[in-house]
Amino acid sequence: MKIFEDLQTTAEIALVKNNLAEEIKELGADKLLQCNQCAKCAATCPLVLAGFPFFNKRIIQAILIGARETLLNDISIWACQSCNRCTDLCPRNVNPYEVILATRRMAVREYALPALAVEGIRSLYDVGHAVYLSESGNPRRKLGLPEKPPTTLSFSNALREVQAIMRKTVLADLGIIPMEESANF
Amino acid sequence: MKVGFFVGCNTAFNRPDLEKAVRYVFPALGIELDNLEGQSCCPTWGTMPSIDLVGWCALGARNYAIAEEKGVDMITVCSTCHGSLARTAYRMQTSPEVRNKVNELLKEVGREFRGTARIRHAVRYLYKEVGPDEITKLLKHRLDGLTVAIQPGCLSLWPKEVFIDKEEDTFHPKVLRELCEALGVSAPHYKQLLECCGMGGMRSTDMEKSFRLVERKMTSMKKEINPDLIVTGCSSCLIQFDTSQEFLQKKGRIYFEIPVLHYMQVLAICLGAEPKMVTGLSRTPVDNIIKRILQG
Ligand code: SF4
Ligand code: SF4
Repeated sequence: MKIFEDLQTTAEIALVKNNLAEEIKELGADKLLQCNQCAKCAATCPLVLAGFPFFNKRIIQAILIGARETLLNDISIWACQSCNRCTDLCPRNVNPYEVILATRRMAVREYALPALAVEGIRSLYDVGHAVYLSESGNPRRKLGLPEKPPTTLSFSNALREVQAIMRKTVLADLGIIPMEESANF
Repeated sequence: MKVGFFVGCNTAFNRPDLEKAVRYVFPALGIELDNLEGQSCCPTWGTMPSIDLVGWCALGARNYAIAEEKGVDMITVCSTCHGSLARTAYRMQTSPEVRNKVNELLKEVGREFRGTARIRHAVRYLYKEVGPDEITKLLKHRLDGLTVAIQPGCLSLWPKEVFIDKEEDTFHPKVLRELCEALGVSAPHYKQLLECCGMGGMRSTDMEKSFRLVERKMTSMKKEINPDLIVTGCSSCLIQFDTSQEFLQKKGRIYFEIPVLHYMQVLAICLGAEPKMVTGLSRTPVDNIIKRILQG
């Protein structure tokens, strides 16, 4: 198993200075330590079906033994479907999905996030939509819809609110995307 | 009756024909739609939720504040918007600390989250507020004799605890099935019915693995129930089924084609909408199935 490649013995595992679990808890996964590794969450997880090496139960296991680098070097957390089957099924109310989100938050703080995620965040800041197709005006018009939906795209003051909120978050300190004040109209 | 239409990204930009369908169906059923002017992205999972809990909740809460100011609930046809917004409200209602921090942020832009508006899944909203029997009475076209494969959409079902109009048993969902049956179709069970379609974070992370899931689903439904049509409750599932079939065929991984529509699109046609206006952006052809619907 990949996570044990660098950690050969239980003694070594115990020796790892494990701030990871604490960090993940603080980033939103407050029920993390309730997990007893029963794997019920894994039995229902699309990541398992699709063949990703890490999924809810194994991500928690990696956190508990402090395998930070292993998690950072693997893309699986970003492939989680946010489907929350695991949240419904977990008998210990761990909320494994919140653990995955918190693990992503940890990874973002280490700048280990996929390029597409950066694109989505940038687009969210620039136009108020994570997914935006600038060429959608034409098909919209042909369907008799206004070229722009009644969202931040149509109301610059609304977009400025979104940007002001985002600038007040940790995103501003991280510097992952440019955050100029002016709306990109 | 009046409700806010939370349009979201994929519906507005990828499938505005679905937006058009919603704008047809609700008024046709006597429900007025509010535009929730100035709404933004829900925000979706790969963005603020993956960065910062309070920042995520604040952007979600801003959307709620717009609905609250207008005194309406919100509906969405996208499971991600449904899941993200339901979860932010739940977090703020169960954690006063998060809620206070969010309201501090919102104050700076002149808004407040009060917790009076709710996000509701459009399909389940119709089920509860209108009901299958009433829908049946209003149909101009029926789908008698057709078989459909239903695809509710993960985030319309789980996690049960955060949703308003929840299924009694999320692992045996019945709402979309009963609403389809109200149109005259049969919507039998198939083994992969509950499984994920592979869209979302998985598709942007690893297309090949994502397509494995949609292939499994399609093969299962074809073998077991041979449907005339796939009906989804979620805009992301719609996009995944619609855009992956050509690829899977070219690769010789499936040897058939099944048209796919969101429930709102099917219902719009059945209520008399011009089919091109509410399905015109389909990539997997829907002409034949629409012909059959118009005959019914
Ligand atoms: S998160 Fe819950 S379901 Fe998953 S292994 Fe831990 S206790 Fe079991
Ligand atoms: S939310 Fe993520 S981890 Fe949980 S079952 Fe779904 S894909 Fe798996």
